[in-house]
Amino acid sequence: MYRLDKGRFDEFIRLLGREYRTYAPVRTAGRTGFAIVDSAGMIDTDVLVTDMSPKEIFFPPSETLFRYGRNGIKTDEVPERPIAVWGIRSCDVRSLSMLDRVFGSAVQMPEDDRFKDPYWNHRYGSSLLFGSACIDPSPTCFCNWFGGGPFNKDGMDVFTVDAGEYYLLEPVSGKGQEFIGGLACLAPAGESELDLVSAIAAEAASRMPEEEDLKEAGRKLSDIFDEPVWSELSAKCVNCGACTFCCPTCHCFDIQDESQGSEGRRVRIWDSCMFPIFTREASGHNPRALSKERVRQRIMHKYSYSLENYGEFLCTGCGRCVLVCPVNLDIRDVLRRLLHYRAEGKCNG
Amino acid sequence: MDNSYVPIRMRVEKIAVEDPERNLRTYDLAFEDEDAGKRFNYLPGQFCEMSILGKGESPFGIASSPSEGDLLKFTVNRAGSVTGEIHYLREGDAVGIRGPLGNWYPVEKLKGMNVLIIGGGFAFTTLRSLLVYLLGSRGDYGDINVIYGARNPDLFIYKNEIEEWRTREDMELHLTIDSPVDGWSGMTGFVPSVTGELAPGQENTMAIVCGPPIMIKFTLPVLTELGFPDERIYTSLERRMKCGIGKCGRCNIGSRYVCIDGPVFSLAQLRNIPEAF
Repeated sequence: MYRLDKGRFDEFIRLLGREYRTYAPVRTAGRTGFAIVDSAGMIDTDVLVTDMSPKEIFFPPSETLFRYGRNGIKTDEVPERPIAVWGIRSCDVRSLSMLDRVFGSAVQMPEDDRFKDPYWNHRYGSSLLFGSACIDPSPTCFCNWFGGGPFNKDGMDVFTVDAGEYYLLEPVSGKGQEFIGGLACLAPAGESELDLVSAIAAEAASRMPEEEDLKEAGRKLSDIFDEPVWSELSAKCVNCGACTFCCPTCHCFDIQDESQGSEGRRVRIWDSCMFPIFTREASGHNPRALSKERVRQRIMHKYSYSLENYGEFLCTGCGRCVLVCPVNLDIRDVLRRLLHYRAEGKCNG
Repeated sequence: MDNSYVPIRMRVEKIAVEDPERNLRTYDLAFEDEDAGKRFNYLPGQFCEMSILGKGESPFGIASSPSEGDLLKFTVNRAGSVTGEIHYLREGDAVGIRGPLGNWYPVEKLKGMNVLIIGGGFAFTTLRSLLVYLLGSRGDYGDINVIYGARNPDLFIYKNEIEEWRTREDMELHLTIDSPVDGWSGMTGFVPSVTGELAPGQENTMAIVCGPPIMIKFTLPVLTELGFPDERIYTSLERRMKCGIGKCGRCNIGSRYVCIDGPVFSLAQLRNIPEAF
């Protein structure tokens, strides 16, 4: 563990910036998201869960796949410096590991390089993640349902704790150790500082909600796929897609061309399974024409199909969808309802 | 690193108009880069994303067979904006493809077996690929029996080849149209009922079905009734595949992605997937 006095935080961020394009939580017009910073003063150090998730650093809402014109196709140059992220919460670090299983390592087709996403890998592969302990979890946090916790370090390179006057930094990966190992602005942490961290951790853990047992979720959801409960649950959903855009693990996208004359670019843009056009085919046939089918798809994808395909849930319990839903459709209630659902005339409770 | 989002450049070698209303056209495409052609190894049942720069991409089954040579064949029905643009292409124009994507018909398992091919409408594309592939090494397979239906006689694709297939003695071809038309010498009726009437035997036979969703849905139970076990019924499903590599999220049926786990599935697999039909 190392100690970084807040008086030297700006120096630290500038040092980081020499080697890395550094992203951190930034507040713009009242909303928070991750943006490039070159000084500590730009960073919103108070925000817990940013409005927009850090997935947009590695999987931007709109991204050029290649440019085309009279001279054929050209892919963009790879950015020169790797990416560092400061102030990313453990739930969001885990979401990046999940997305890496979809895009980067492509766990469904691990031996075949054609299924590895080069755009994701350029960014995520060489990134350095400074995770932040959540010393004051919010009422919408439920990461502990998925094995997470306010002091969980999975996937981080360096784990950091805001201890008031200073930050405590703990290297988690070799890459993290290598970067912070020789920094002059850091000092080794002492006994009292470590005790303080333990006290903060215990206090944070006590604020987490009761865990929901999700061991049987995948099977249970498959079993009730055809039950009427989905119609009831989806009745108030307006299919706005807000949950999918703020979600740190939703990764559906569309590919479109933007042209001016004979020049243009092919872009990958975020899309949403909540929109009817998402699956509509040219013939007019639509496999998920009903709102019920789309809501069910989102839940099944996150809590059932993902287990089969990636070995884990595609949800980290960050609570963003709970906060943004305009009709207060709370994913925690939806899950509880489904997991405890008893089909009429059946005993599969 | 491979980049599966960048299309391979192709040249339109030949265009054939398949129907009097000119909605169905078949494109023979040649690789501009010989090496890209050599690397492109495919089997019947696979598909590609065909790409017009500035207009976008759409998925199409490969209608040629790898046994035919280096040209790739696609038949395109004019339905949306990308297919509309494809219909503006002329011979000599450039077009992009990404692929080959997805899995293929179980050609290895077919060796030594009888094959029953059932198709409908302009979805006969990958079935043509399969049929040509089987005929290319005819000795490896038993009886080949084809049932092919279209709304009316004009809407059969590959009409010249149909004439040739008809006269072959090493295969059977049954054509059917939805309702009677003057001068029609083939069968009349929808594919599922015609299949029931013809009652092809199931012994040592693999059934391969491809067509509009409604045709598939009603044909599979007929095959089951004829005694085909689920493991010997294969079908190819259609979804709006976009990325083709299992990431963009729109072509899944249950936990399976049509673009990487399909498009070819056995009925045994589909029985375990919700909302397959």
